[in-house]
Amino acid sequence: LGRPGGSPVSTTTRRVSPCKMLRLALLCFGLVACVRASDIDHCCSAADVRIVQTQWKTLWKDTESSKVKAGVGKLLLLKLVEKHPEAAAVFKDVNIATPKSPEFTGHAMRVMNGLDMAINLLSDPDALDRALDHLSDQHLARAGVKKEYFRTFGEILNAGLPKVLDKYNEMSWKSCLRGVLRKIATKLP
Amino acid sequence: MKWFLLVVVLVGYVAADDDIVCDSLARIKVKNQWNRAYSTGKDREDFAQALWRAIFAIAPEARKLFTRVRGDDVTTPEFKAHSERVLAGLDVAINLLDQQEALDVALAHLAKQHDARNIPDSYFDVFLKALQSVLPAQLGRCYGPLTWKACFGVIARGIRG
Repeated sequence: LGRPGGSPVSTTTRRVSPCKMLRLALLCFGLVACVRASDIDHCCSAADVRIVQTQWKTLWKDTESSKVKAGVGKLLLLKLVEKHPEAAAVFKDVNIATPKSPEFTGHAMRVMNGLDMAINLLSDPDALDRALDHLSDQHLARAGVKKEYFRTFGEILNAGLPKVLDKYNEMSWKSCLRGVLRKIATKLP
Repeated sequence: MKWFLLVVVLVGYVAADDDIVCDSLARIKVKNQWNRAYSTGKDREDFAQALWRAIFAIAPEARKLFTRVRGDDVTTPEFKAHSERVLAGLDVAINLLDQQEALDVALAHLAKQHDARNIPDSYFDVFLKALQSVLPAQLGRCYGPLTWKACFGVIARGIRG
């Protein structure tokens, strides 16, 4: 009883499957295109950019924002080193061993300003591309910096930003930062 | 008598101008005004463009320092990215004005980046002059040129080494 009943079903499945395959293929293609599309097009839409820029801006409102910025920058980098202890060697020259040191404070500010520049250039993709390319070269010149640090850094940002930003649209941030971090890490091992 | 008073007042005014130093109050003022002028997103891009146009208008020959980043055309993405990098560096310095130790280290870092480029000292004056012409356009009347001169001097001296 099972066999005759089973065969039409399997024929139907077989007849449907090329269509399904095509759909799957299209979906995959679409996803790949989305992932591969240079940095920010439909994966970080104009609306996403506006959301990210507006939400990010609140962090820099006050005159004393340098202390907030440096503090947040330090936390991000320390978290990174906590997850990749071997990365501490990369930050040896900026005295990560003493987080309160002026060297590390200055470095945290530079990192935050790099991020700030990228976010503010999201609305000008061509200029952003050149800025990120430059950052990419600067990271390539530092021995020991790896691609995976940027993946982790993205995760740290995604976990940390909602703690300091009152408004945080995760999808917009993720889609825009993914392109930024990937582009900076593109030349790294 | 009236003339005498006027002269006294004028002399006092001039003396006061020279007296402005980049003390902690001046630094707060500059930080505040910078944050407003620097702004964000598209406005920041426009600010950067205006500043660099002013720089090249004052010193056209300075363009040759920027051939690697398309200094011949400030509207190219290469130059836009470069101009924002420079402003980001200045932003770090200005925002650290109230943390002297970290400021010193940041300026030393900028000095190292500028060392190899053989920038004539006069270009720092050009930069200030350009800044002085663009800032009031950004800020309107709430802008203190002498305070800026004093505090930009601190930063320029640090970068020149």
